[in-house]
Amino acid sequence: MKRLFCISLLALSFVAFGQAAPAGAADVLKIGVVSPVSGNYGDHGALERAGMEMALKELGGTILGKKVEFVVADSETNPDTAARRVRGLIEKDGIKIFMGGVSSSVGMAIAAVAAERKVLYIATNGNSDELTSTKAVRYMFRAAPSMASLGRAAGTYAIENLGKKWYFMTHDYSWGHSGTRWARDVLKKSGGTEVGEVKFPMGTRDFSAQLLQVRNSDAEVLMITCAGFDNVALLKQLAEYRIHDKMKVVYTLQEFCDVYPLRAAEHRGYYATEVSWDENEQMKAASKKFAEMFPKAAAPVIDNGNYNGYVAMMAIAEAIEKAGSAENVEKLVTALEGMEIKKNLRDKPTYIDPRTHQFLSKVVMVEGDPKGTGTAVWKLIKTYDAVQFDMTKEENPIDLTKK
Amino acid sequence: MLELSLFCNGIVLGLVYAAVALGFSLVLGVSGVINFSHGITFTFGAYFFWAMYQTLGWIPAMILSPMFVALIGFFVERLIIRRVYGQDPLFGLLITLGFAMAMEELIRMIFGPATHNVNAPDFANGVIIVGDFLYSQYRVFIAVVAAVMVAAVWVFTEKSKYGSVVKGGMFNSEMVGALGHDLYRMRLYIMVLGSFIAGLSGILAAPIWSVKSGMGNSILMPSFLIVLMGGLGSIPGTLIGGLLVGICLSMGTLVAPRFVDMIPYILMGGIVYFWPRGLMGQQNIIE
Repeated sequence: MKRLFCISLLALSFVAFGQAAPAGAADVLKIGVVSPVSGNYGDHGALERAGMEMALKELGGTILGKKVEFVVADSETNPDTAARRVRGLIEKDGIKIFMGGVSSSVGMAIAAVAAERKVLYIATNGNSDELTSTKAVRYMFRAAPSMASLGRAAGTYAIENLGKKWYFMTHDYSWGHSGTRWARDVLKKSGGTEVGEVKFPMGTRDFSAQLLQVRNSDAEVLMITCAGFDNVALLKQLAEYRIHDKMKVVYTLQEFCDVYPLRAAEHRGYYATEVSWDENEQMKAASKKFAEMFPKAAAPVIDNGNYNGYVAMMAIAEAIEKAGSAENVEKLVTALEGMEIKKNLRDKPTYIDPRTHQFLSKVVMVEGDPKGTGTAVWKLIKTYDAVQFDMTKEENPIDLTKK
Repeated sequence: MLELSLFCNGIVLGLVYAAVALGFSLVLGVSGVINFSHGITFTFGAYFFWAMYQTLGWIPAMILSPMFVALIGFFVERLIIRRVYGQDPLFGLLITLGFAMAMEELIRMIFGPATHNVNAPDFANGVIIVGDFLYSQYRVFIAVVAAVMVAAVWVFTEKSKYGSVVKGGMFNSEMVGALGHDLYRMRLYIMVLGSFIAGLSGILAAPIWSVKSGMGNSILMPSFLIVLMGGLGSIPGTLIGGLLVGICLSMGTLVAPRFVDMIPYILMGGIVYFWPRGLMGQQNIIE
């Protein structure tokens, strides 16, 4: 009897443990977040992760009853490292859904792994045109607008309102070139004049020589494509050299977190950007909530980085719900194609173009306020639909629905 | 007119570069250590200054914050650099680089990842306009401070008694030790002085660049370059190297704006080919 009792107890415990272990694993949905944690782009990575966390909190921390867990892998803004870490997460943790990536080159590296291993990847913050054209793959989607949308929005606003004689300042790498390319496209089509262009290498901290040349020209508009810490230095030096007194300064893409720390006189100009925290009441409320959740964030409002993280997470949640599970990547990809993401803090949903896998929402023009303090560094002046300026079928013939 | 303004701009830039490279050159010359923590001391200077300039005022904070940086230099020498004296210069490079990387992350943890703004002082916030020529007053201010810094160090090494010992240490440290001078103490003082100069340079750069944890990385290579061009430990050499880099970077934007940052490297290659010890270099401690 005693022996029988012991055996029953042992059998029971096996059953109990046996059930508990897979039940625990099955109740957790792991999502890989490949994003820079350390180094120069660490703050941009922190912003996009904060946006993802904010979205997850709104979703109650679960999708289809499964608790969602982010597994963060530091990309170090290095394509090779990012690709290696994604492979590791696929093999060790069996992760099938990935998002993140501040730089386009990292996005392209992850896309290659995604195509090879057939996992889903949403590139959050890379703007290079290649991500949805020459390097596009069926398993990758891109949340941020393309440089075509941003560059042409900036160009259109400038040509209609600011002047037709332009000088270009271009960050000398592929992203910078594409910003200038699309703005120049607008200039050419509208019969404007290009006065000059100065290309400067990444890591340029002193722009005195370039700005002396720009100032020496008779341009009406200075069209800039520049990012990162170089951009913060440039913004300061534009004011130092009184460029704003001589011509209108326009950016093809500006980040709130770059402008926010500057003194009022340094945030003058007209900037194309992906999102502005003062767009509508939803965005303002979300900004307030974001600042409360992440008081130490580089931008205490909804900015490009956290917005794209937020929308990417919402897209994944909607896709999983539509597909009925997170297991079948093919179904998730199909669910995302042509999807309308309603939870995007805007009046109109974000549409995912099935042909290019590009998220299409809005691009906005803002004007830096030289008297604004706190978060009022700029105000919204114009909203464009991203679809209006994104690459046309002739410019980008890729069709991912055919693959 | 544009050429002239770019040339003047090059001289101003060159003076600043020379000041930035000065501390690096001194430590390398006297101690034989390729001090890659030079960049992080530059960053520390900017951060300390940012933390205190609004409360204390521009000039008091400009004097006080490099002193804190000098204190950091003191501990770095005592706890880290001292361990690698007399060894392969690669050890010094690696240990200081590791320290700098750790400190960069520490700064991010303490002060956050965001960029911080520093305003130019009110007395130098305007522009100088002569006809078509426009120049920032603040640039002239930093050029003057940089020139004073270089001149002060030159007077110290050339005209003071202790300076001549330091200079001797650059060429034959054993002999200086044998003559009864405390070589370790001398190296400590030079590290403190080098850190002070780097900290002050960081402050001068802050209103132009703004303050961020990785800002020191961008001055390391130019510093190294200037030292190689000018000659190890030579103050006139550092000044010449700095001016060459400044003028190249400024005038280069007229000729080849895309490749402007390569020009100093090409120039350095040419100089080192004909003068392997740099323009003003002599046989030194590393050899």
